[in-house]
Amino acid sequence: MSKELEKAGLPVALVTAMYPVAEQVKARRIIKGISIPHPCGDPALPAELDAKLRKQIVETALKALESDVQEPTVFAPSGG
Amino acid sequence: MITVVHVVNQFFAGIGGEDKANVGVGVSDGAAGAARGLQLQLGDRAQILGTVYYGDNYFHEHKDEAFKAILDAVKAKHPQVVVAGPAFNAGRYGMSCVEICNAITKELNIPCVTAMHDENPAIGTYRDHVNPNYFCLPTAETTAGMADALKALANFAVRLASGETIGAAKKEGYLPRGIRRLEKTDRPGFERAIDMLLKKINNQPFESEIAMEVWDDISAAPKLDHVKDRNIAVITTSGVVPWGNPGKFKTFRNTHWEKYNISEVRHLEAGKWEAVHGGYNTAFMNKNPHYGVPLDALRKLEEEGVIGKGKLYPAYYVIPGNQGSPAVMRRVGKEIADDLKKDNVEGVLFVST
Repeated sequence: MSKELEKAGLPVALVTAMYPVAEQVKARRIIKGISIPHPCGDPALPAELDAKLRKQIVETALKALESDVQEPTVFAPSGG
Repeated sequence: MITVVHVVNQFFAGIGGEDKANVGVGVSDGAAGAARGLQLQLGDRAQILGTVYYGDNYFHEHKDEAFKAILDAVKAKHPQVVVAGPAFNAGRYGMSCVEICNAITKELNIPCVTAMHDENPAIGTYRDHVNPNYFCLPTAETTAGMADALKALANFAVRLASGETIGAAKKEGYLPRGIRRLEKTDRPGFERAIDMLLKKINNQPFESEIAMEVWDDISAAPKLDHVKDRNIAVITTSGVVPWGNPGKFKTFRNTHWEKYNISEVRHLEAGKWEAVHGGYNTAFMNKNPHYGVPLDALRKLEEEGVIGKGKLYPAYYVIPGNQGSPAVMRRVGKEIADDLKKDNVEGVLFVST
């Protein structure tokens, strides 16, 4: 799906815990998710830190959209 | 003697070219048109009982009637095997060949074989069918390869009708469609895996026992400058939907997408949203749907000015990704891209489980 969006000229920041698969299928802007059942955050953290982590993930995704990439590139959430 | 029905389009039945593409389904007793060539290749191993033909356009424009008439015609002849094509690189013809083979194996339980060029657009459909009871052989791009194609079809048809076990695509020469089979070997898996690993470490060629899907490559979309001035939308395959699942998603193999309005929503409250997905434990997602649609973070970034005011698209898109076939997901991706572009969305945050 993300490749069809990129093909249509829409850059996609793909948040996924299965980033090796995303690389293998050649998605381009890949953001490391925390885990498969909860890519955007970590339920083991207190709510406040969980929300902070989620914000970092989204910020990393926005930065990925601003980045020039050719090859599949994995972005790790900063401070996460 | 083995009995065969040959299914061809109006052109290869000798009825005519494009001007006859609207003719309905017809049957000739014995071998007619290209089927004569097939009979030559079959020799005295098999006999063609009839040739079923249809117009290239007729088939696609009157699919229900065409399917019924073709299936009835084949059924009346009781063949042991059906041959369709070869279609070379003809798109309409290729598509009808794979659809007819798929229908005959399913409805009449008769094995089928067809043939076409490996770049015929119908090959995608052939792969999607993942049907172990019909096979597609590769041909040249044009009818210059007719003799070779008929010879290959004849040999394969005889084997199918005899009930021979057909092995892996690589060995047998048909086009692969990603079916994995269990096989008995005399060596346990760990030994074979270690062999492969050692070969890999030593840079020696080795062959995986599990063929992976080949993914086509794309070039990346250009980056966005000044993300805060850009229209951004969220898509998720996590299956997060409004409580009650109004889009009636299944937990697996979905084929449609939905978009849900979030323009007035600040955060996703547990109990108002749920995750529909059969591929992971949805307990975390149900408790906190932001794990799939990080709306709380997006709203916060909106407040901080990292995302411009009114730049977050007022709806998010969802299809539960579990067991989605690559072909369906490609179509869904295209449809959502069209929808987003209509509304001038420029970048996508995609959350996948």
